[in-house]
Amino acid sequence: MAEGLIEFQHVWKKFRRGEFHDSLRDMVPALASRLFRRRREGLERREFWAVQDVSFSVRTGEALGIIGPNGAGKSTILKLLTRILRPTRGRCGIRGRVGTLIEIAAGFHQDLTGAENIFLQGCIMGMTRAEIAARFDDIVDFSELAEFIDTPVKRYSSGMNARLGFAIAAHMSPDVLIVDEVLAVGDWRFQKKAFDRIGEMVRRGMPVVVVSHQLDRIDSLCTQCLLLDRGQVIKRGRPDECIAQYINTGTQAQRENDGDLPFRVTSVEIEPKGPLRSGDWLTVRLKGEVRASTGPENRVGVRVRSLQNAQVVFLLDLTSHDPRLSGPGTFDATVELQMNTGKGYFCIETPVWNTRERRELGQGPQALTCVNAAAFNGTANLHPRVHVATHPASANRELWSA
Amino acid sequence: MNTSRVGGLAAGRRTFAQPKMDAKSETVSVSQNTAAWPDPPPAQLAADGWLSLSEDERSFARDLREIFREELWPYRGLAYELTRRDIRIRYKQTVLGFAWAVLMPMLVVMAGATVRYAMAYIGGRHLGIPDVAGIAIKAVPWSFFVGSMGFAATSLVGQANLVTKIYFPREVLPLAATMAQAFDACIGIATLFVAFLLFGIHPGVAALWAPLLALLALMLTAGLSLLVSCANLFYRDVKYVVHVLLMFGIFFTPVFFEPQMFGALGARLMMLNPLAPIMEGLRWSVVLNVNLLDTIVVQGHHGAVLAWSPWYLAYSAAWALVAFLVGLLVFHRAESKFAEYV
Repeated sequence: MAEGLIEFQHVWKKFRRGEFHDSLRDMVPALASRLFRRRREGLERREFWAVQDVSFSVRTGEALGIIGPNGAGKSTILKLLTRILRPTRGRCGIRGRVGTLIEIAAGFHQDLTGAENIFLQGCIMGMTRAEIAARFDDIVDFSELAEFIDTPVKRYSSGMNARLGFAIAAHMSPDVLIVDEVLAVGDWRFQKKAFDRIGEMVRRGMPVVVVSHQLDRIDSLCTQCLLLDRGQVIKRGRPDECIAQYINTGTQAQRENDGDLPFRVTSVEIEPKGPLRSGDWLTVRLKGEVRASTGPENRVGVRVRSLQNAQVVFLLDLTSHDPRLSGPGTFDATVELQMNTGKGYFCIETPVWNTRERRELGQGPQALTCVNAAAFNGTANLHPRVHVATHPASANRELWSA
Repeated sequence: MNTSRVGGLAAGRRTFAQPKMDAKSETVSVSQNTAAWPDPPPAQLAADGWLSLSEDERSFARDLREIFREELWPYRGLAYELTRRDIRIRYKQTVLGFAWAVLMPMLVVMAGATVRYAMAYIGGRHLGIPDVAGIAIKAVPWSFFVGSMGFAATSLVGQANLVTKIYFPREVLPLAATMAQAFDACIGIATLFVAFLLFGIHPGVAALWAPLLALLALMLTAGLSLLVSCANLFYRDVKYVVHVLLMFGIFFTPVFFEPQMFGALGARLMMLNPLAPIMEGLRWSVVLNVNLLDTIVVQGHHGAVLAWSPWYLAYSAAWALVAFLVGLLVFHRAESKFAEYV
């Protein structure tokens, strides 16, 4: 059995916007031009490249994460890999049996029972009947749907659907795994179970491609990362580097359309730029300008957000520290933060908000920092005082014998 | 921007010699990104057949090999499972259940018997049991054909969520629709067999032709199902065209009547319908116990009419074979565009 391998070689994929055939009148010249010109090289009217010259390969022991904004071509790449789409140019493919955790409940038929759907979906995913029968009990156990397994799937809740779908996909023992945003299914406990299952497959050395917007998941699962934008590879490298650049490019686009904000933060720099230990000091330097004299209800500040759960860990109101910030002009600010946090990625944001309307008006640039060494797990350091008394086993024995 | 023609292998060789970037990667600009990742050696690319090729690197020989070796055979389990699903869901939440499989051909027989009764009355003859039996044996393949076409036409479009989301050879969807109808036809045949015995019709040795005719019907229907399902995915009018053709098709197919009723030229024209020799063959061999290698000439009101010739069988077989292969090839060629156009 050859080991699994994922290959993507200079792949281009062309798509068209809008309706494909508007009328017979458009179709006839289109057909004629197809007859006379064998190959169309460039782009025609309304066409665009969804994937442009993307290459990568994933071997045993590697896990590739693909990140990027919506419309970057992430899902198109997965569809090309799984042969749902065929490349316009270039070659791609997967050697070995493919396990796809994409749309895990797509093959379900609503009128069939859970048990019948296990066989159907399993077959669609490429398992044989005998294999499914052998793993049937494991699948039912994993999905935690034993009592509903003879109920038609149309009576399932969406969470039950997703659980059953994941359970089937997770039991097909593939050579290669492809994951697309399926971790956002089921309740929190099942999500963790599903994530652990994927992590287990990755640790076994299976080549994996993961597409997700949950960046911390990409970081903890993947060995390599690809940052895409509009079909092009912007960056490839370690996941943390790609994630950092992704977050920073995301905000550059945002910065262009904030012309009417009362404050404009032009740059954010952090020191040190590398990973921190828990408890280290992080220096944040802001440069910005105040547009016009703004009322006291408009505020600018520094916000620290954990990437793990997108939760705000900390928010500092700069305006309340210096009332002069409400007059027109420029400002520099330096904020020193002691990062008493657990391990993880933290995004340093520069929000502008209005306290009267209780809404955020916009955001300036961001920076990303990483805490990669901590003496504890969790979000915050609560400065515990710990007393542990130890009683050696030999002392116990003496007690008993006495 | 590198927009020169990138043709798989050639491109692989061209960039392979370029220096690789440092392991600690920097931001890669778009024009360089082909060089940043080490390419696999070109020799490996040539040897492996598992890479999905782009649209311009294909041939019919490769297509045929792909269809049979990589798609139909490995996925036969899926075809079986989808057939089972189609059969099950058709009879779930229905009152009559499997009786539906018999009801449809039975209505065809009743309609045919009515028409034939009127014809016999005008002709001053008596409508015999063999006449009705002849209609009955032709009603089963006709219902099979109509049902298959109807279900196959919507088999891809109706399951767009599968087509756009999971990979498997799409051939199995229309083929499963056809096989589910074949299952119904089997129920019909079993019922018919019992009915024949009750009415005193005992099929003879010539009835051994029936499995061959059934195979031809299956191949012809499967091939047309593939074509229709695929055409309907691109142009939704196909579904309506198919429904209209099937509605009037019964007048151009010898189900209710026999070709020799139309005279020498009429009979030949009617037998041009690829379904006609299959149906007539069933009637001659099963009901009338005639060896299909014989030629049968019937004396009509306006002279001799060629009612059956072995060449009719060959004609139908050629149609079945061509339809099946062309259906598979066309379907396979179009398959890669399904997810984009559905």
